[in-house]
Amino acid sequence: MTERIGLFADLHSNLEAYEACMTKAQELGVTRMVFLGDLVGYNADPCALVDRIGDLVAAKKAIAIVGNHDEAVFKDYRDQMNPHANAAIAWTKTQLSSAQVQFLKDLPLIIHEEDRCFVHASAYNPSEWNYVTDSMSAWQCAQSSGTTYTFVGHAHEQALFYQSAVGKLIRFAPHPGDEIPVMKHRQWVGVVGSLGQPRDGNPEACFAIFEPATEALTFHRVPYDHFTAAEKVRSAGLPEELANRLITGK
Amino acid sequence: MDARPNIEAVDDIFQEGKVVDGFVLGKEVHRGGMASLFSATKEGIDLPILLKIPRVGRDQPVESLIGFETELTILRALKSPYVPQYLGSGNMATRPYIAMERVGGHPLEDQIKEGKQFSIEEVIQIGADLAQAVQSLHSQDAIHLDIKPDNILIDERGKLSLIDFGLSHHERFPDLLAEEMRKGIGSAPYIAPEQVFGIRSDYRSDIFSIGVILYELLTGQLPFGNPQTMSGLRKRMWAEAFPPRAIRKEIPRWLQEVVLRCLEARADDRYQSATQLRQALREPETITLTERSERVAPVSLWESMKRWFSAAGYEPSPSPRPSKGNQNAPLIIAAIDTRQSDQELRERMQMTAKNVLLVYPEGRLVCLSTIASTPTFEGNQESQTASGIVRNHLVQLMEWAKPLKLPPERISYHVLEALDPATRIVEFAKDNEASLIIIGGSHKLPNKVAPWRTSMTKIVEEATCSVHIVRV
Repeated sequence: MTERIGLFADLHSNLEAYEACMTKAQELGVTRMVFLGDLVGYNADPCALVDRIGDLVAAKKAIAIVGNHDEAVFKDYRDQMNPHANAAIAWTKTQLSSAQVQFLKDLPLIIHEEDRCFVHASAYNPSEWNYVTDSMSAWQCAQSSGTTYTFVGHAHEQALFYQSAVGKLIRFAPHPGDEIPVMKHRQWVGVVGSLGQPRDGNPEACFAIFEPATEALTFHRVPYDHFTAAEKVRSAGLPEELANRLITGK
Repeated sequence: MDARPNIEAVDDIFQEGKVVDGFVLGKEVHRGGMASLFSATKEGIDLPILLKIPRVGRDQPVESLIGFETELTILRALKSPYVPQYLGSGNMATRPYIAMERVGGHPLEDQIKEGKQFSIEEVIQIGADLAQAVQSLHSQDAIHLDIKPDNILIDERGKLSLIDFGLSHHERFPDLLAEEMRKGIGSAPYIAPEQVFGIRSDYRSDIFSIGVILYELLTGQLPFGNPQTMSGLRKRMWAEAFPPRAIRKEIPRWLQEVVLRCLEARADDRYQSATQLRQALREPETITLTERSERVAPVSLWESMKRWFSAAGYEPSPSPRPSKGNQNAPLIIAAIDTRQSDQELRERMQMTAKNVLLVYPEGRLVCLSTIASTPTFEGNQESQTASGIVRNHLVQLMEWAKPLKLPPERISYHVLEALDPATRIVEFAKDNEASLIIIGGSHKLPNKVAPWRTSMTKIVEEATCSVHIVRV
C-alpha cells in the first residue's frame, strides 16, 4: 500500500473536529499520521485529544510535535498570548493529569525524516514560534529545514508555498480536494490549516494528505458538529468568544 | 552547465522500440529545443499516443523543467475535446515524460507559412472554433497564455485542437511561472500587453491572442509586428493596429470591429469572454458597430500621442511618467548599501549622483536599497517587524540623499525585498527603463557583506543600462 500521510495541526482540544477528520482520513486511506502541534488550548476536550493521540503515537501509527499552546501548559507564556488563549490554558492545566502533561513535555520540537521536515510553527528558530504567512517567512522556514518538504501549522489558514524559478517562495491558496503535484526538485512549505479552530471564515476543519510516492499533496476541509464543540466550550466556562470562533470559523 | 551526460541518460531511456511504463515507443516524430516527441502505443489504449520528453537532464536548473512541469500539471487537470487527453507521465527526476493523445492535424502555422490566402469565411470559422476551444479552457479555470498558430492543430475535417500548455496558468494549481525573471514570456507577436508585464492571471489575454491570429489570417500581417525588445513589446499598449480593412477591402466592417476589439490594449475593453467573441463571429448582426469598424487609416500622430500618454498608467513600475524621450529625462538608480560604513565612498557616491543630475536637469534619481529578508515574527519592538525594517531602510536612504537637496519630484526611495539583490536591481532598472545604475565599490568591506561585492559584478554583467562604479 502506498504511504499516505495525514497532516493535522492546531487541533486545540476540539474532539468533534478531530473525530470527523479521523473518519475522513480513514476513508481516504491514510496510512500514517503526523500531528503538527497545538493539541490543546482554546477548546473543551484536552484530555480526550491527548489520550487519543498518545495512543496513536504509542502504537507507532502517528508522530506528534509540540506547539506553543502545548508548551504553555508547562511553561509560562502568559505575556505572549492573548487573554482568551491564556484563560483556556489556565483551564486546560486544571484538566490534564500529570501523565498527560508529561506526554506534552516529551513531544519533540521538530522532526526531520527523509526529505521532509515536520514542525509546528516554522523550521526557522522553531522555539520562537514564527508564523509562516508570506514568502519571506516561508523562505526562511524552507532554508532552515533544508528539506524538500516542510509541513507546518501555527498559522491557521491553509496555504502552500512553492519555490519559483528565482528561488523565492510563492504563496498559493489551495482548493480543498484538489490533488496538487508537489514535485521533488523544488522546495515546498505546506501550512496544513487548523483542525480545531479554523479562522478563514469557514468553520470546517482543516487537514492535508501527503502522498510521497506520487508527489502529491491534497488539502481537505471537513464539516463537523461545530455547534456541539462550541456548546462544550461554553459549558466548560471558557470565554464565550472562543465558542463564537468555532461557530463563525473566524 | 554541462548537462550532456544527463540528456544522454534520458535519451537512452527513450528510444524507438523501448518500453517505458508500458508505453511502446515508436518513431521520434519531432525534436525541438525543449522537447522530443515520440509516437507510442500501449495495450488497452486505443488512441494514438504521443510521448513528450523534455530535452533536459535531471541536474539542469529548475527553470528548464518548469515548462514541462507546468504542462504536466495543467494537461492532467484538463478535460476538453479541444485538448489532447492526458494518458500518463513518468517521474520527473528519473524518466520524465508526458503521455498524451496524439491529436490529428497540422499546425495552423504551416498553412500561414505556405502563404495560404484565407477566405473571410474560413477566418470566421477558425475564429469561432478557436474561441470555443479557448472557452473550454477558461471554464475550467485555465488560461492558455501561448495561443499562436504553432499551437493550433487543425485536422482534415477542420477540427481544431490546442496544444502546448508549457506557459499556461491554472487557477487551482500553483503557478510555477509566476514571478519568473523574464517578463513577457510567450510569443512576441501574440501576447497581450498585460503579459508583457508578467501578469499571468487574466484570461482575456487569450482573447487578445485570438485577435492577433484573426488579424494575421485576414491580412497576412501581424498587427504589432514581431518585436524583439521590451520597448518593442510595450508598443502594443498604446499603438493601434493598422485597420485590417485598409489592407484588405473585402473584410466586412463588423469583422474589423471584432478583431480590433480583441486587440484593445486594456483587457476591460475586449470581449469579456471567449463565448461572447464566438457569438459575435457567428451572429454578426448582433454586433454594435463602433468607430473601430470605421477606421480606414492609421490613427493620427496626435491620437497616437494621446494614446501613448494614457498608456502611462499601464506601467506597473513605481516611476511611470513617459516623457518626451528617455535620453533627456534619464532615470538614474543609486544602489545604496545601507550597511556600508565607508564615509569617503558614501560622499563620493553622493557627489557622483549630484553631478549626473546636474548634467541632466530632467533626470530623476531613485535611491535603492535591498534587504535580504524580513522576519515575520512580529517582535515586541517595532524596529524588528517587517514594516519596521523597511521603514528603517527608507530613513537611511533619505539620510543618504539629504545632501543632494533634490526636490521631491526628482527623487524617490525604494527598499526592495530580494534574495538576490543584483538580479532584483537589474530587473528594477529594466522595468523602469533606467539609464544608469550608480554603485559604490569599496575595498573596505565589512566582513559580512561579501555578497555585495559579487552583486556588483553581477549588476555590471547583467544590467541592460550603463553602470557607474564609484571608487574611492
